[in-house]
Amino acid sequence: MTQYIKKATAAEIINHWLLAGSFFLLAITGFGFLFKLEWMASIFGSFHSMRTIHNWSGVVFIIALLGTVFHYLPVALSWSKDDIEWFKKAGGYLSKGVKVPPQDIINAGQKLFYLFLLISGIVIAASGFVIWLMAGVREWVLISHLLHNIAFDLLVIAIPLHIYLGTLANPGTFRIMVYGTVPVEWARKRHGKWVQRLGY
Amino acid sequence: MARKALLISPELCIGCRGCQTACKAWNQLPATKTVNKGTFENPPDLTPNLYNRIRYVEVPSETNMVRWLFVSQRCMHCDDAGCIRICPAPGALFKTKEGAVAFDKNKCIGCKLCVAGCPFNVPRYDEKDKISKCHLCSDRIAEGLSPACAKTCPTGAIAYGDRDELIAKAQKAGYQKLYGEADLGGLGVLYAFKDAPKLYGMIEKPEIPETVLFWHKVLKPLSYIGLAGAVAAAALHYIAIGPKRDEGGE
Ligand code: SF4
Ligand code: SF4
Repeated sequence: MTQYIKKATAAEIINHWLLAGSFFLLAITGFGFLFKLEWMASIFGSFHSMRTIHNWSGVVFIIALLGTVFHYLPVALSWSKDDIEWFKKAGGYLSKGVKVPPQDIINAGQKLFYLFLLISGIVIAASGFVIWLMAGVREWVLISHLLHNIAFDLLVIAIPLHIYLGTLANPGTFRIMVYGTVPVEWARKRHGKWVQRLGY
Repeated sequence: MARKALLISPELCIGCRGCQTACKAWNQLPATKTVNKGTFENPPDLTPNLYNRIRYVEVPSETNMVRWLFVSQRCMHCDDAGCIRICPAPGALFKTKEGAVAFDKNKCIGCKLCVAGCPFNVPRYDEKDKISKCHLCSDRIAEGLSPACAKTCPTGAIAYGDRDELIAKAQKAGYQKLYGEADLGGLGVLYAFKDAPKLYGMIEKPEIPETVLFWHKVLKPLSYIGLAGAVAAAALHYIAIGPKRDEGGE
């Protein structure tokens, strides 16, 4: 019988879904505004309601993003030689049979991704709030508009890769977002340090 | 259709402000109470209910103690309009066939981004946060009439007509280069200045903010190219290298 260990708490799972859901809404409405997509606006009712949805999804997004700070930031900031090694081997993603050094509850790539997400997420949210709440204040809106769009471009590149790595590229990963548990053997190969710390 | 324009000649303007009044009458805009700040200029700035106004510039000098310049200030109906570039709501701001930059309040979502895109600080907002500005009387010119301001102006300081003809006429009158002739693809409001534009309270070289152009030319296309690239890279990886499976153990 497969033995499972808990990798994510209920709070982490819910928070991650809020983050994912709000990001999805923000990104597609963002594209709607960027390219003035009438069909996109009609899905949400109109450009007026699409704006409301975009803005308030931003509120959910920043709350969920700040929630992740408690979940991932400490480990994302703890770097060791193994993390550097992991990067040197590209996480074992570029060829079969490469052995990577043992990783913590999240691997080096995930640590870097998280730090990237935290920073770009704060930038896109803060600039979004300036555009929303300081509308008409030209200098502030101009710089925010620029930052908002730079962060948008980075995120629409990074998030699909994140989704790919968390689903198709790593079978068995997606269940963490559903059950929060993973088989011990699965975890041992990917998160050796963490499994060892738990005493398995 | 030939592009229409206004030709403003400050030296002809007598500061009667008939244009301000006519504009309000045609566009049904209420008057606003203001206070005297020691100048005849009134109101002090464009408002959602004031689409055009005469700027009173006093430039006293040794030789001329009372030089007074009257300059019509309003939306310039830019050919390359920063407001249209940045506006995220299609149809909120649009070009008419005469070349006027008009607006549709029903389509405006009140984000006020156009303020950031406009080089001339023109867009204003009504009490519902909807764009409000000069639209070159787009309803009148569509019917072949001239805008209310030009129609009213008793001295010809605001002249309306085919843009090319206005430029030719001004050149004949001795104005080598009009303000707005070439800026931003050519403005729909041209100025016959005898002195540096700055003196008349105009920016020397109007430009759409760099950041807006960069966003338009680079960041916008990069968004879908980046997204498509990321998806393609993932697909390629899946096919070429494949997922990390556990088979066979370590
Ligand atoms: S305030 Fe209205 S006109 Fe101005 S950019 Fe936003 S939607 Fe467009
Ligand atoms: S002056 Fe400003 S509001 Fe008028 S068309 Fe140009 S950018 Fe738009």
